[in-house]
Amino acid sequence: MARYLISRLAGAFVTLFCVSALAFFATALAPGNPAAVLLGNRATPERMEAVTRAMGLDKPLPVRYGIWLKETLTGNLGTSNLSFKPVSDLLMAALPATLELTLFSLVTAIVIAVPFGLVLAQGRRKWWSRPLSAIVTLGISVPGFWVGLLLIVAFSLTLKILPSGGFVPMNKNLGGNLRAMVLPTVTLAVYLIPPLVRFVRVTAVSAFNEEYVDTARAKGASPASILFRHVAPNTFIATLTFVGLQLGLLISGAIVVEIIFSIPGIGRLGLNAVLNRDYPVIQGVVLLAATGYVLVNLLIDLLYSAIDPRVRTG
Amino acid sequence: MTDTISASGPVVPGGPARRRRGVFALPRFLLRRSPFSVLLVAVFVFLAIFGPLLAPHSMTDTNLSAALQSPNGTYWLGTDQLGRDVLSRLLGSVRVAAQAFLIVVLVGGVLGTSLGLLSGGLGGAFDLAISRLVEILQGFPTILVAIVIVALLDPSLTNAMLAVGLAAVPDFARVSRSVAIQLRDREFVLAARGLGASELRILVAEVLPNMAGPLIVIASFDGAQAIMWEAALSFLGMGVQPPSPSFGTMLREAQNYLAIQPWLAVITGITVSAVILGLNLFGDALGDYYNRGSE
Repeated sequence: MARYLISRLAGAFVTLFCVSALAFFATALAPGNPAAVLLGNRATPERMEAVTRAMGLDKPLPVRYGIWLKETLTGNLGTSNLSFKPVSDLLMAALPATLELTLFSLVTAIVIAVPFGLVLAQGRRKWWSRPLSAIVTLGISVPGFWVGLLLIVAFSLTLKILPSGGFVPMNKNLGGNLRAMVLPTVTLAVYLIPPLVRFVRVTAVSAFNEEYVDTARAKGASPASILFRHVAPNTFIATLTFVGLQLGLLISGAIVVEIIFSIPGIGRLGLNAVLNRDYPVIQGVVLLAATGYVLVNLLIDLLYSAIDPRVRTG
Repeated sequence: MTDTISASGPVVPGGPARRRRGVFALPRFLLRRSPFSVLLVAVFVFLAIFGPLLAPHSMTDTNLSAALQSPNGTYWLGTDQLGRDVLSRLLGSVRVAAQAFLIVVLVGGVLGTSLGLLSGGLGGAFDLAISRLVEILQGFPTILVAIVIVALLDPSLTNAMLAVGLAAVPDFARVSRSVAIQLRDREFVLAARGLGASELRILVAEVLPNMAGPLIVIASFDGAQAIMWEAALSFLGMGVQPPSPSFGTMLREAQNYLAIQPWLAVITGITVSAVILGLNLFGDALGDYYNRGSE
């Protein structure tokens, strides 16, 4: 167990180190001198040199990386080139919307996809399992954000029952917050549901073929008991694995969904920064998203070993 | 690229043990197994090559007096907000999608297959290091890679697809590594080694040709993902730039006219979904073919 823990922690640490280096060097190597950006184009060469030295830009790159890492670890991520606000403030302001969106979508996807996958596995020899599986393949092939556009046409423009975008902070108006979140949540869930259904179905079908299911059947267990007591528990582990595998998809999808529904989250912050070359903010967004990715994966690994003892010893 | 959706489970590579089949065995199998996907892929390839020649109107010339028309005799699929012919722009988008496919499969395929081949073939500490690297890259959010690359270079199709191609490296590396390990001690490899061939030569001349099947399956799925990503990244403004047509730029522009002319978004989305669906089903059928061979 300790060995497993240490190896996972080391992996997470190495990943974060690589990401931080990538984020730093991507910014350091980016075209444009930050001192020139700060001073504008009317700076005298003397001032340029003074500011360059004051910002530490004359030092060699590895030294600058060390300084930067120290600042970052103490929460100083620099200031935005656009708004001149501290990057950490911008990130903190954007985080709640993104967290709400991703959590809601994840829960929605699991609640819909796990039973759906189990039903498909249970009825794998029935006539309706083929057309339903075809629908799942279709779902995998449809761009999620396009479904979002169709939902806007249907529910905001035609039926006029849900807002087509915007974000109301939860503590200001809970009802308004939830109403505005319905379409974005469904859209992001559409990204996750088809692959999760497939994953659950494959896991459940292979569980059905296990000897312990034969044993249960031979002992006279009902189909319902086999499904819920012997097969379904395996799908919980599958769901956990899936969340780890598709976490990147969740992050990528969230960014697109934020743009479609004008949600002021991390994704919109990051995209605006990219399109305006606001490097400190790009750095902050990449670091935050990558850290979230690594930490959640670490958490899943730990949960995994808590649920399935084979992982610890194996 | 597992942060994207993989359309099927892990591909179990066929290996060289399967009996020889005729040249037409594969097409015959695909046509019988999945005629719909063969049709979709054939149309996609045909339009990617000849589409722009068949376009009835210009893809970029604007004509404001003909803006936002519904499908009619002159403009079979209608016009967009600047009066450009939607059919012609869709044909241009199919070509762009094919370019996205090629860039991603080339970048991911060459880098990933080389890494996997070396790692599986040589083994040892090199294998351990590469496997660990692939494990870390596997599932890393593609969009973060795209953000870094586009921020450093410029928003363009090539740069966006470079990021998606890098994200596809782990898929190719995983599959080629597992095939290389399976083949490492096979008789024909031992024979080549006995004849004095170098390890590198064995990998390239003996092992690589035997993993074509599984690699084509991965290329099919990751190529489908490439088209999905082209649409998403161009939609965000990080890929193809207007006024050039692409599925992503067309959907981005269509979003502003959802209330007036939702048709624009509908037809563009259906077209891109059909292309991706065709490639995913094609990949499924190819996977079935190669898996059956190993039984």
